[in-house]
Order: sequence, then C-alpha cells, then structure tokens
Amino acid sequence: MNDFDLIVVGGGPGGYVAAIRAAQLGFSTVLVEKEKLGGVCLNWGCIPTKALLRGAEVAHTLAEAGRFGFEFGPVNFDLAKLVGHSRSVANRLSQGIDYLMKKNNITVFSGQAQLVDNGLLEVTAAGATQRLKAPHIILATGARARALPGVEVDGDYIWGVREAMTPDALPQRLLIIGAGAIGVEFASLYNDLGSQVTLVEAVDRIVPAEDAEISKLLQDQFGKRKIQVLTNTLVGSLNIREGVVTATMRSNGQESQGEFDRVIVAVGITGNIENLGLEALGVTTDRGFIKTDAFKRTNVVGLYAIGDVAGPPWLAHKASHEGVLCVEKIAGIAAKPLDPDRIPGCTYCRPQIASVGLSEQQARQRGIDYSVGRFNLSANGKALAIGDSEGLVKTLFDKHTGELLGAHMIGPEVTEQIQGFGIAQQLEATAHELTHTVFAHPSLSEAMHESVLSSLGIALHQ
Amino acid sequence: MTISAISMPKWGMEMSEGLVSDWHFAIGDTIQAGDDVVDVETSKIVNTVTATGSGVLRAITAQSGETLAVGAILGVLADADTSDEEIAAFIRSKSASGTSEVAAEPVAPTQPAPQSPAPPAVAAAVVELPARAIASVTPLPAAVQLGALAAGEDDSQVAASPVARRLAAQYGVNLNNISASGRHGRVSKSDLEAAVSAAGGKLISPAPATTHSRPAVDDSLIKATPVARRLAQELGISLADCRCSGDRGRVSKADVEAAAALQRKLEIFPDLPADEPEPYLTNTMSGMRKTIAARLQQSKQTAPHFRVQVDVEIDNLLAVRQQINASSSQARVSVNDFIIKACASALMQVPGVNVQLEGDTIRQFRHADISVAVAIDEGLITPIVRQADTKGLIAISQETRDLATRAKINRLQADEFQGGSFCISNLGMYGVKQFDAIINPPQAAILAVGSGEQRPVVKNGSLQVATVMTLTLSSDHRIIDGALAAQFMASLKGFLEQPATMLG
Repeated sequence: MNDFDLIVVGGGPGGYVAAIRAAQLGFSTVLVEKEKLGGVCLNWGCIPTKALLRGAEVAHTLAEAGRFGFEFGPVNFDLAKLVGHSRSVANRLSQGIDYLMKKNNITVFSGQAQLVDNGLLEVTAAGATQRLKAPHIILATGARARALPGVEVDGDYIWGVREAMTPDALPQRLLIIGAGAIGVEFASLYNDLGSQVTLVEAVDRIVPAEDAEISKLLQDQFGKRKIQVLTNTLVGSLNIREGVVTATMRSNGQESQGEFDRVIVAVGITGNIENLGLEALGVTTDRGFIKTDAFKRTNVVGLYAIGDVAGPPWLAHKASHEGVLCVEKIAGIAAKPLDPDRIPGCTYCRPQIASVGLSEQQARQRGIDYSVGRFNLSANGKALAIGDSEGLVKTLFDKHTGELLGAHMIGPEVTEQIQGFGIAQQLEATAHELTHTVFAHPSLSEAMHESVLSSLGIALHQ
Repeated sequence: MTISAISMPKWGMEMSEGLVSDWHFAIGDTIQAGDDVVDVETSKIVNTVTATGSGVLRAITAQSGETLAVGAILGVLADADTSDEEIAAFIRSKSASGTSEVAAEPVAPTQPAPQSPAPPAVAAAVVELPARAIASVTPLPAAVQLGALAAGEDDSQVAASPVARRLAAQYGVNLNNISASGRHGRVSKSDLEAAVSAAGGKLISPAPATTHSRPAVDDSLIKATPVARRLAQELGISLADCRCSGDRGRVSKADVEAAAALQRKLEIFPDLPADEPEPYLTNTMSGMRKTIAARLQQSKQTAPHFRVQVDVEIDNLLAVRQQINASSSQARVSVNDFIIKACASALMQVPGVNVQLEGDTIRQFRHADISVAVAIDEGLITPIVRQADTKGLIAISQETRDLATRAKINRLQADEFQGGSFCISNLGMYGVKQFDAIINPPQAAILAVGSGEQRPVVKNGSLQVATVMTLTLSSDHRIIDGALAAQFMASLKGFLEQPATMLG
C-alpha cells in the first residue's frame, strides 16, 4: 500500500489545479483519473466547443464579407477539418496537463477510484487493483449530462454533447432540447454552419440563468438568424423511423409534432457520485451532488468535494478556485470561501453573453434598493466599426452603498470584458470609482463605462 | 567556570535568520537567567532573546543592524573570572561551525570597544566589529561627495552587487572608479567602502533598526484603498500619518508615497540591508538538522538512558477502534491516537514520569502534553497534543491529523512543537518490531512504538494467537527510576489492553 499526504480523484480543472496547489505547498500528492487529464472541460466541454465556435465565427465573417467589399464565389466547407481542429486542440491541452503533473512531481494513477474506507482509496485499472492511503482525499469527479426521461441518447440520431462535438455530417434539420448555456452554443454553432435549428426550452425564456433582459435580446437575435425558439415547451417523445426523428412537443396544453434529422439533448447535468464508495462511508449527498461546507469539507472527516460534483454553478473556474481554497484550508492557510455572487459566467453563442453577480430579478427578490445602468452597443463607435453593434451592457448598483451588485453583457467579445466588472466587485469598488476610471477609446469596453454612468443618470453618449 | 553562547534563536519553522535590533546590556554587565538580553527582528516579528543562564556579558559578536543565521553566536556569557583567552577561544570554536558572519570575515578593529573591560589584546579577538560599525556615529548627509571618485562615465553597466550599487548612489561614487574583488568580478560592498575610506570619506552608519518596525499605531480603521493599505504595510508607514486625498476621504497610493518620501527626508541614515550571504553557508546543516544533532547528542551524553519494554495485546483496542470509527463520520481514530490517549491516562496515574529536568529543577506537569514525532523531509519534528488527558479520542485524532499535515509542509507555529511533557515515536507503520528512542530533552522519557502483529501467545498453558505490539520506554535515570518506569508501563499496558478503563 502507498502512503501519501493528499489524493485528488478526478483530473479536470478542479482536480488538477487542486493537485498542483497541494504539490506547491509540499504535500506528496496523487491524482487519479480514469480517462484523460483535463476532464470534460478540456476534452469534451469548454475548449473543444470554443474551437468549433471559432469555425462558426469564420462562417459568419465570410457571410458578412460583402459589407467590407469582398466578393467571392461559392465557398467549400470541410466539416471533418473543423472537427479535427477541435480534437487536436483538446489533445494538445491534455498533454499540457500531463506535463504540469510531471513538473510538479504529482503521481498520476490511471483507473477507476473507489473509497474502501475513510482515508483509503482503491484504484482499479485493467483488472489490477492497488490501494492508496492519505489523510486527505479530495473528490473532483465532475458531472455529466442529465438524462431526459423517455429519451434515450443513441449516438446516431439522438446526440449527447460528445456526438454533437464530433459530427460526420451537418444535419439539415436539428432539434436542440434545452436552452441553457450548452443548448444555445450548439444552436448558434449549427445555425452558422448552415443547419436549420429548432431550440426548445421548458421554461418561459432561453438562458434562464441570465438576466431576463439578456434572454430577450438573445432570443431576438436568434429570431433574426432564423433559429426557431420554442419556450414553455416540453418534448414528450421522440420516434425514429426511416432516418427521421419525429418529436412530439407540448406547449400550453397544445400538442404539436416536428420532423428532424438529428436531436441534441442538453437538459442540465448531474454529479458523478456513483461507484465512489460514498454510500458505505455515509457521505451526505443532495439531489445528485455531494454536500460540503464553505471550505469544501464533506460530512466525513478527511474527505472533500470540489467542482461540479459539489454542486452548481457548474463552471471550470469555480472548480479551480474551490480546489485551491480547499487545499489551502487543509494546509492551515487562511483561505476565503468562494462568494457565489462573484463568479462570472460566459456563454459563447453569437452574440456572446457574460455576467457576474445578481440579475435584476435576484436583486428584486432580495429586496435590495438598486439602480440600473444600461448602454446599448449601437452607440459604441468600435462596435459600429467592426459591424457588430447589437448588444447591451446592463449594470446593477446598490442605491445606498454604490456596490456593484451585478453586470450583464451581451454582444461581441463580452466574455473578454466581464473580468473588468469582476475585479471591481472583488475590490468592492463603487459606481464612483468606476466612473473615475479611464476607459480607452475606441473600445467595446467603453460601453461598460457608459453603463455605469447611466446608472447615475449621467451617460454621455445616449 | 562555564561559558555559554547567546545564539540567534529559532522562532517558528520558517525563521532562518534574524536581524539584531537592540542590546539591553553592555559588555561587562551581569545578566540573570530570564533577563531580556537582545531584541531580534524577523520578517514576521520583533521578539526578545532571554538569557537561559546567568553570568557576565563578556562579548557582543553581533551588532545592531546585523542579520545572522539561526544558531549564530550573538554574544558570550561567562563568569567574571573566566580569562579573555578562553572567551576568545570559545568564540572561535563557535564561529568555526560556520554560522557567524563575524568570524567568517574578521575585520581588525581600529580601536578597542570602549565599554570592554578586557585588555586590548583580547578585545581584538573578542570585539570583532564589521567595518561599517566602526564608522563615525555623527549623522552624515546621505550623499558624501568624494571628489575624484565621483567623476566618470555612465556606470550602469559596471558589475556590482545590489548593495554596492545602492551605496555608490548614496556616497555619490561612480562605480567605474572602484576596483572589483567580489564574486564574479563584481564590485562588492567592501570594495566600495575601502575606496571611500581610502579617499578620506567617512562610512555611513547602518540604519537604526527602528526604521524596520511596523507602524506603532493601529491604523486598521483608517479608510484606505487596498493598494494604499498594502503599500503602507510594505513601507512601514502608518496610514494615520498619510493625507487622505482619495475618493470619499480614503488614503490613496499617492498619499502613502508622499508620506514615505517625507519620512525618508527625515531619516538621515539610509537603510542598509545585510550583506549578501556567503556561498559556504549553503553547505552547512539545516537549522532543523543542527537542532536535532545538538539536542540528541546532548541527550545521549547527559541523560543516562535506560529502557523497559512490554508486549501489549491490542485485539480489544482494535475492536473498540472499529466501533468508534463506525459510530461517526467525523471519527477516523488510529492505533496511534489510542496510544496518545493511553499515555496521557498513564501519565496522570504515574505523574513521576510526566516531568522535565532543567538544571537542578524538576518540573512535574499537571497535564499530559504529548509530543508526537512526525517524519518530514528535512528531519523530524514533534508537534504537541496539549492536555491530551482532558481530550477524547476523536478530538485527539483530529488534532493529530491537522498537526501532522501542517508539519509536513513546514507550517507549524513555534508553540505547536516547542515544549511537551512526554514523547511518542511510532515506527510501527514501517513494520519495525521494536526499537529504542533517544529522549528529547528537557523531557525525561520517550515511548518507542513497534508494529502490531499477530504472534503466538501462551495463555493458561495453551498456545493462542493475539495481535501484539512491543512498546519500549527510554527514561532519564537521573529523575526516573526503574520501578517508576515499570509502573508507568504496567499502567499503559492496562489502558491499552482494556481501553474502556481510559474512561475512568
């Protein structure tokens, strides 16, 4: 049996970061991963989808080229090459994690991990089992797509995200069930590549985690792009006959049917809590996720959970941050718990969405006296220059303290700008400090400044 | 006749060197044990070295403003009738170990230290002052113009140590005019000072240590931007001394910089850092290794060790352990946790073993503060489970796990590993059947724990199998006699074989 100071189960952005931090602090550290290092994020999530969406952006740019004076004949598109690009990026990054593990002297075990006792882990690979012992074990096993009752992902006609990321051919008619971040990214991707997309959402708006105003603007944009959006709609059943999927949908008590070539199921995710030996140890779970305290400790002494498996929001950067704070707490360093209102979220559809903090609906629910700033990108010079001026920057401030409660952005490159508001929140800057900050001209980020000014009723350009 | 050294202490695991701040005594003063002798500053704290013995302060080998490694000699305590030759020899022997900067780079003094009662010949050996400390104590303007040395072309490309470059700016010296003898042909601090002296210039005195001190006033309630607060801390500026021109009356970065500039003007003495470390220091033992070496050698030489050994059957204990661990998800009690608890219980029953020996004094502890030896990369350390007699097994288990975790990454506080009334060393996890441990002074006993293994035992004339563990107690016979040690081991065996009796 091997003795270590700390074991991390799961090599995604939560687990591998936790392992690096532990190794930096001097712990003899083990990382156990059953597939490839990097987890879903790197292999089947954030990164490969961004590679595909870059292809969609190129398609859109080509379509718009005439505005900038470029005329050319029919353009050929090889889908296999785009998918190949996406896979090679994922592979390259995964190898990068291999290197980071070596550099930090982290022992990596490949195999399926199971807790056999408190502080004792069994790792099984190719039938061989070995036991690893450590006083601290961090579970970072991640999450997977939730199944939709009555719908079976067959990989041929009904796709999960992996199939949706590696298509052989472009489906002509595509149904996407679920309009969360994953659903709208695929809708945007396939629409730009040329598919006819229908996006179905059970609640009354798409991207329901975002501010309602953002949802509406995205739905308007999708409408202009001829993406059919059906809200308040449930998919009852899918029947496959002769290569055609017939979907029965119910909306406001009315049933309708539609025919599609492929279906993508993206209705949320559920934690990977099975086969870990949690039941025998009496680890408390809640609706498919492991329960933890603010420092990611489970109810079992010496056992911790971080990232997706420890509950929402399911974001790579949240997982990494939790990994670091969990390890630092173990090391006796004064760690700060993560403030859920300061975790930014980004969605890479076209137009992009980025937000941090409270939505207007949440601020109202909490009974906060707030002021709203809005600035439309149609009055931003840089946005007009690049021919991409549909968008909004919305800011929410506490009327009494001036605290930045939330920021909601939709438009070009907003995912690269949201950290400006994140830094302001972390430094507890008020509308006042942001007002006095000089934003460069011409830039898309000037809209951030104007939105803050607007919250004080002093916007200069609208 | 006894001669003892006042050495650079080690306050906490991360401390490797300290800055000598203020001496409370002069050479020739009589010091009693427990007196505050000299203030030492680390990157974290300012603390006072107290005398562990009594005597006359015969030599000061580290002046205010000098930075020395942990363990380096700072001064010498001895009887008034100890000869100066002996003092000098003592310093040489201490310095030979390579910890003292003073001995490594002797500088002949141009004058004997005025306070020294010793004759000049001895003072030359004893009161070795580094060059800068011999300088005039009269305040000088920061930049002393030295005519010829100042002229020359741009010297920004001349190889020089950072300290030398800084000093050159303060003296107004062009580095092109200095001949280099430092490492890699660099102009060193001593090259620069030699040239300044040769040119008739006076050397600038080291900065008073007080310039390092943190703000005396608590400024945590003063409104400031995050950057300003950090910068103020960094520069040792109190936010209370700053203007507050920032938004809504906050102290801004510019305010702190202005306050710092003002303070610099007021301070005539520049702030000199210590010399660069000499390369041979890297070959010395780590502070921890030295401590282990010195203490254990001292222990073996001064404490007459004797050992008593018992075999303990732990099948009952293992069953109880399983029960406890199954009872709560917060419980992960190990066999070692049981041994800590059982030792605490036995020490309460046989308090004669719960002792430390200091000089002629025997300290009998009211509680069992149990040191637990933890192997770490650099050696070993013994974090303490305090008052283990008052704690339950689960509490002991959690505390031990936290201490061991932080011990492995050098994050224990000094008070977490200094002291202890009894020590446990467990090599059972390595499969060691039994061993003898060396007492960790001033403690008087240490328990060596072997691995639990199935062995044949004879009970009522028949052969049976039991899980047996061999425990060996090393005791200091000066204060623990054989019968007492045997009594302790019998008590300990009883608690371990019948764990329920620890509840009594």
